[in-house]
Amino acid sequence: MSSSHHTHTEGEYIPETYVPHSESHGTKSLWRTFWILLAITLVDFVIYFIADPSLFRNIVFIAFGIVKAILIVGIFMHLNYEAKFLRYMIVLPAIVFLSYLVWLLMVEGNYVSLVKYFQ
Amino acid sequence: MSNSTTVSNETIWAGGRSPFNVSYGKLMMWIFLLSDAFTFSSLLVGYGAIRFSYAGSSTPWPDPANVFNHFPFAHGLHLPLLFVSLMTFILIFSSVTMVLAVEAGHRKSNAEVSKYMILTIIGGAAFLGCQAWEWSQFIHEGGRLDSNMFGLTEAGLKKAESLSFGSHYEWLAADRGPGPVPFASLFFIVTGFHGFHVLSGVVLNIIVWLNVIGGTYIRRGHYEMVEKVGLYWHFVDLVWVFVFTFYYLI
Repeated sequence: MSSSHHTHTEGEYIPETYVPHSESHGTKSLWRTFWILLAITLVDFVIYFIADPSLFRNIVFIAFGIVKAILIVGIFMHLNYEAKFLRYMIVLPAIVFLSYLVWLLMVEGNYVSLVKYFQ
Repeated sequence: MSNSTTVSNETIWAGGRSPFNVSYGKLMMWIFLLSDAFTFSSLLVGYGAIRFSYAGSSTPWPDPANVFNHFPFAHGLHLPLLFVSLMTFILIFSSVTMVLAVEAGHRKSNAEVSKYMILTIIGGAAFLGCQAWEWSQFIHEGGRLDSNMFGLTEAGLKKAESLSFGSHYEWLAADRGPGPVPFASLFFIVTGFHGFHVLSGVVLNIIVWLNVIGGTYIRRGHYEMVEKVGLYWHFVDLVWVFVFTFYYLI
């Protein structure tokens, strides 16, 4: 390993070739995440059959989906361990635009249904 | 590494260092994935809005339990959600083997990276096989880009209500009729777009695996390329979480 290229030392930062040194956090948290994801999927499966379709059931499914997303992005994609500004840069635009899109979904979908079937 | 957490925000942005403490390639991968997340959420939001707009329609949105209820070698049994749950498990497991490959790369263990990459590629191929089977069932029963035969007549609705998990059933021609066209077209578009991402991920994984066994990353001194395809692979898993939620659960 040529240390001049791959480790960061003051005064010789080359943006195009800079690769920060990475270290293993071990596999324990990875397997724990896997078991949690699997457990949530199984709970999804059980709820699907014991509860009748309802708004509350849909909210539970979506909440579980968001928990799974946070685990995948935070642990598997390693974002929890990245620098603060990288985390902000990825998470903030996603939250802002996705809330807007979901709001649009509910307003527009409702409107089309009202106009088409409930005149 | 520790110096990045102790410097103040002003020094982070003063130049001479990466403010995100990440390589150029990985930063670009993150930005690509953010844009891809917007693409997929637009598809899912479009799906949601169209599905919402069928509330109160005389041809209501089909219940996924009456459409995706097949399992290989269990012909004629009503088994909703079982097959997609298996597909979800396959994809989550291939995500674990991918992240184990990344972890092995941090320890610079070439043999382990290679082993876990192979397992990830097998998982991805298995998922694609499952999806091909799912599509062939869907098409066989009358799902097309421009039409769908999953609408239920009154007789069909009665039959659907009497079904429970694992019970025998058979749809007759009189039970089913035309349903909302976007149900079928969006199924092909959303799962197809996701499946194409899985296919690209498998191809990228194979390329990186060939580099691993060729010793490219030993010579390079780091396994960051494995991390980058890993990010892409986990993103594919992330999208599937929401396809699973909105297409099959809700």
